[in-house]
Amino acid sequence: MAESDNESGGHTGNASGSNELSGCREQDRFLPIANVSRIMKKALPANAKISKEAKETVQECVSEFISFITGEASDKCQKEKRKTINGDDLLWAMTTLGFEDYVDPLKIYLHKYREMEGEKTAMMGRPHERDEGYGHGHGHATPMMTMMMGHQPQHQHQHQHQGHVYGSGSASSARTR
Amino acid sequence: METNNQQQQQQGAQAQSGPYPVAGAGGSAGAGAGAPPPFQHLLQQQQQQLQMFWSYQRQEIEHVNDFKNHQLPLARIKKIMKADEDVRMISAEAPILFAKACELFILELTIRSWLHAEENKRRTLQKNDIAAAITRTDIFDFLVDIVPRDEIKDDAALVGATASGVPYYYPPIGQPAGMMIGRPAVDPATGVYVQPPSQAWQSVWQSAAEDASYGTGGAGAQRSLDGQS
Repeated sequence: MAESDNESGGHTGNASGSNELSGCREQDRFLPIANVSRIMKKALPANAKISKEAKETVQECVSEFISFITGEASDKCQKEKRKTINGDDLLWAMTTLGFEDYVDPLKIYLHKYREMEGEKTAMMGRPHERDEGYGHGHGHATPMMTMMMGHQPQHQHQHQHQGHVYGSGSASSARTR
Repeated sequence: METNNQQQQQQGAQAQSGPYPVAGAGGSAGAGAGAPPPFQHLLQQQQQQLQMFWSYQRQEIEHVNDFKNHQLPLARIKKIMKADEDVRMISAEAPILFAKACELFILELTIRSWLHAEENKRRTLQKNDIAAAITRTDIFDFLVDIVPRDEIKDDAALVGATASGVPYYYPPIGQPAGMMIGRPAVDPATGVYVQPPSQAWQSVWQSAAEDASYGTGGAGAQRSLDGQS
């Protein structure tokens, strides 16, 4: 299943009313069914089967999960007069919405990711991130993120030895296939 | 928040009868048959499976070193996040964190759904199994609109023999928030609780997590490894 990133940008305001739009837009509302199906199979015995309806239902549930958590995190950012949603905001939202079990493993995951990014930045000598410009205002991404990262310790219970962490993401290349 | 949740879960897994009041079993006995022990055993079994799942996830994430290959496409996750017009900017780490969070979500939802399929002696996961998992789990309340009520009715029909006596929905009795356990399978003919054949999928976890062992002792060992207690 080939993934197309050509549709990025433009229709950022595409809401759930996208049912009226083309099939491509409709498909954009969900994660690929093949990826979802592959993960589902990891939770089932080898001889289990999954109906197509079940796969499609989980597809919808995952999108709802993303919107649910994102909405809560976004509200928090607005109250704090911040424009960028970061990993800690998502973890806070999950805790608030009852997903405590998820937070412990994800904290470890996020910590490891930031460590790796820190090493990468150190090796590069300076921040040089092609994909750093998530969302609007590319020109403000770097200083904003730097400012934000400086406040990270307030949200974390464990000490982080580096003051600056730049996210590189490489969203377009970090794909399953 | 509530560290007590972990302890309650642990006690629930190890204690034989404490956390499961007789009233619950009594309610089921109203169907005409059923003894407390099998009911409690089934609840413990399901709880242990979910505990094994979370322990395994912690161990797996401890060893992760590749943030490039994700099970889910980051661009699509970002697009779904930005469907909310209030969302302006997203840091690079957010979709990466969500990729892992969604994986955990899919796994948990699928495991809970499969428990329902097993109760109904099926080997194909169906939409009504997912509907049942959503109905039974507190933290999945936000999903109730995704599955129509028809799916829930279908499930009631499947167990028509006991529909009047056995409540479809079990409130969380003595369970931490978000840890509602599903309804046990009941053989309509004899009214005896049937243990779902969970060995097959447990082998998936046990083979994947070589150190994992089934049973209260094993769960305790894993828990101490996590350093939670």
